[in-house]
Order: sequence, then structure tokens, then C-alpha cells
Amino acid sequence: MQHEKRSLTRNCTIWCRSQRHMEEKASASPASFISQAVVPGDVVLDLTNFSNHTIKLGGGLYQNCDAISVMKSGELKFSKPNKYWVESSQKRYVPCVEDHVLGIVVDSRSDNFLVDIKGPALAFLPVLAFEGGTRRNIPKFEVGTLLYVRVVKANVGMNPELLCMDASGKAAEFGPLKDGYMFESSTGLAQMLLGSPTCSILVALGKKVSFEIAVGLNGRVWVNAESPSNIILVSNAIMRSENLSGVQQQIMVDSCFREFKDL
Amino acid sequence: MVMEVDRVDGRTPNQLRPLACSRNVLNRAHGSASWSQGDTKVVAAVYGPKAGTKKGENPEKACIEVIWKTKTGQSGKPEKEYEMILRRTLQSICLLNIHPNTTTSVILQVVNDDGALLPCAINASCAALVDAGIPLKHLAVAISCGVVESGYVILDPSKIEEQKLKALVHLVFPNSVPSVHPKESSRVGDEPKEHGLISSVTHGRMSVDDYLHSLERGHAASAKLSAFLRKNLQSQVPSNA
Repeated sequence: MQHEKRSLTRNCTIWCRSQRHMEEKASASPASFISQAVVPGDVVLDLTNFSNHTIKLGGGLYQNCDAISVMKSGELKFSKPNKYWVESSQKRYVPCVEDHVLGIVVDSRSDNFLVDIKGPALAFLPVLAFEGGTRRNIPKFEVGTLLYVRVVKANVGMNPELLCMDASGKAAEFGPLKDGYMFESSTGLAQMLLGSPTCSILVALGKKVSFEIAVGLNGRVWVNAESPSNIILVSNAIMRSENLSGVQQQIMVDSCFREFKDL
Repeated sequence: MVMEVDRVDGRTPNQLRPLACSRNVLNRAHGSASWSQGDTKVVAAVYGPKAGTKKGENPEKACIEVIWKTKTGQSGKPEKEYEMILRRTLQSICLLNIHPNTTTSVILQVVNDDGALLPCAINASCAALVDAGIPLKHLAVAISCGVVESGYVILDPSKIEEQKLKALVHLVFPNSVPSVHPKESSRVGDEPKEHGLISSVTHGRMSVDDYLHSLERGHAASAKLSAFLRKNLQSQVPSNA
């Protein structure tokens, strides 16, 4: 039986972190670049053709006078009516609002916890940012505690801010993660695990073993199961599944379990 | 008047050595690449962006720090010079205002030196920066051109050839870019973007004509290098299954 505690699928925010299955065909003129691999420096949009439209640019693109150029190498994606972004996979994370991430506490101050989320700067988590948080019941997190949090502010040049509750103020699975095992991977793998419909590696693993998983968009994954050998099995299978297709992942999971039975 | 130059390894004057590039070679680095041209091989690792800049650096921009590690022996003045050249080159291709008040470290390890070491290092660090996802304006491709005694220009000299050259110049060009912008692809205007030059480091004495000739040859070869780098970067883009 499969028991899963998964982080919620990501919202489609203005700054484009859409799920992978949303691949729209573009009918606009830069059709030559949509769904193509691009490298930094490629000019993908000519704004002189778009005089009265609003275009929303996601990660990996920047505006250079009248042209939109690529900053990171990856695949250019387009979503109707006007969203463009470059999908790529990195080991570091660029903080975005409304992302659910796994952070590690590095320090605590009087009004903030300092949390490392694998981004360019440490993030602040206010001590009152918990459900029913008051000055009298401030949680005591030791250095090294793993937290499942939500990014609420991610401005350029400032430290990102986090919250341990959802938009309505309820705790809703945010907070410290106890037991289990956390490993780091790339942001691309995290996006694959969070895509909907459920990615095949999780389906395949769920059929064989029961486990709990929390995936952070910053590339950190936490796994918990009844026995340490199950935890290791699930973690290794997920780590190996990054560049495999759905069918290959299924085959890989089957071979992992066969090797385990032989031990 | 065509002067043929006999090269030790039998290459034509315009022929480059076999290129090889692999990315994500190091587990712990945030981005890494190894680049080899013939027998010269350099491994570059990128860590960052990390919080905080060094003292005296502009906090409104990202800071790039370069560390050059030799194959044998201690680091001395030549290594400091390489670090400075690389730092200036990489600063001009990175978008420094995306992550202000951060430091990105680029560490280069020379695995083998058989001539054209600096261009190999620049190519490796550019590939490593792309692997780490550092925002870049465009890619940089580097090539070295040597001027032989007779005035002829050869590309990508090996170490034996370097010792007999009259002059040597390392050139770094921006990569050639396909774009949807119609004006970019035509050649009207003063300077089409592809003719830009990012860095030029010269050793020895050469005439102005020799230098301009090397620029032309180097620019032509940079198109081949760009195509190779682009193919390499695109082949490792994960495909959605």
C-alpha cells in the first residue's frame, strides 16, 4: 500500500514554474526556438513585432533593449498566451515566490531563523511564522534542523523570506521533518518528481514499498520509510532516475528490488 | 604567393586539434567542465553564487573570483596573471546584476599542458559556468594563433610549435548567435555583433598586419569552436520523457 506525503504540485505563478506536461505549441514567429535547446546569447524574441502585447518572461530570459536573450542553457518553453521561459536543471536554486523548499537551519536570531535553501543568499524565517505562533511559544530549532517551508519573498539583492504555514495560516504539513533521510539532487529532478500526473518512478516505487517523501524545489528530497534498507532503496532509485525515461525508470526500479532480494 | 608551413604533427595551418568537452565531471562542484584540445586538458569547477562579496568589491554586482592551480609546483606570478586575465574575461560575459552581493568562484586545474593553455582554460571555464547555471550574456570561445618566422599564421599551436614562434596571440570571441532578430543576421551597420572581440593577449613581436591577419583567422576558427560548444551544450539538455 502506498502512503505518500507529497509536497503540493506547484502553482503556475506569473514567473513561470509550470508543470512539465503543459507544453503548448506556439504559433508566433519565434516558433523556431520553442521547445528547442538554447544556449546563452541566443536572441529568441524580437520585441518590435510585439508592440502592443504584454509578454511574461520566466527564468533564464532577460531583456536586452529590443530583444529577449537567453541567460542559461536549457529548453525554451512557451505557454499561451504570452509566457516564455527556459527550463534547465541546476545544482543551485534561484528563489521564487510560492515555491515549497526544504531548508536547513544555520543560525537563530531574536526575530528570525537563518535557513540555507541552496540559493545565493541565506533565507530568513520569522520566529512567529508558525500556526498559532506567539512570543511565548517560539519553536526551538537546533542548527541542522530540516524544515519544509514556503518562500514568500524573493527579491533581487535581498535575502528571501520564508513561512511555515500556507496562505490561510494553517500549518498544513510545513515545519520540521523528523527521522528519515535527506539527499540533494538537481532542481530538474525535483521538478520531475513534482510533475503531474505522478511521475513513473514514484508510482513504480509505491507499488513495491511504502514510504513518505517530501520534495523541495531547491533540489532537496527527504524520504522516510519503516526500515533503513527501504529508505536507502528508495533514495538510490530516485537518485538514479534523473535522465531516464518513464519505461527505463520502471525497469531500473525492478532491477533495484531484484538486487536487494538477492542480498 | 602561398607559403606552406610544415607543422610537426602534420596539420594544415588552419586546422585545430581534436576537441573534447564534458560537463558535470565533478560531483561536489555546482558546475564543472573539462576541455581538451589535443593533449592540453584543463578542468574547471564553479562554485556559487554564494552570499557576500570581498572587501572593496562593488556590492551592487556579483563578484567573480578565479583560482588557477598548476599541474606541478607552486603558484607564482604567471598563474596570477592567468587568474587576472580570466577574471576580466569572465566578468565581461557574465550578467553581474542578476545576483548582487554574491561571489562566484571559478577554480581551474591544469591536467596537461601542451600549448594553447589559456584558451583551453577559458573554454573550460565558460562551459563550467553554463553547467552551473550562472547567467551569461553570451558564450566565449578562445583560440590561440601563432605567427611563424616567415610571417605565416598558424592556429592552435602545440608546445613544440610555441617555442619556435615569432609571436603568439590568444583571442577570445563571443559565440556566433542564431537569432530571430532580422537586423542581427544581416551585415548592415558598422560592426555586426559576431565580429566582437572580448580579449586579446599577445606575446612576442609582430607587425600590425600580422595581428590583423591573426584576428581574421582566429575569428573564422571561432565559428567552428562555437558550433562545437553549442552542440555539446545542447546534447546534455535533459529531454522530457
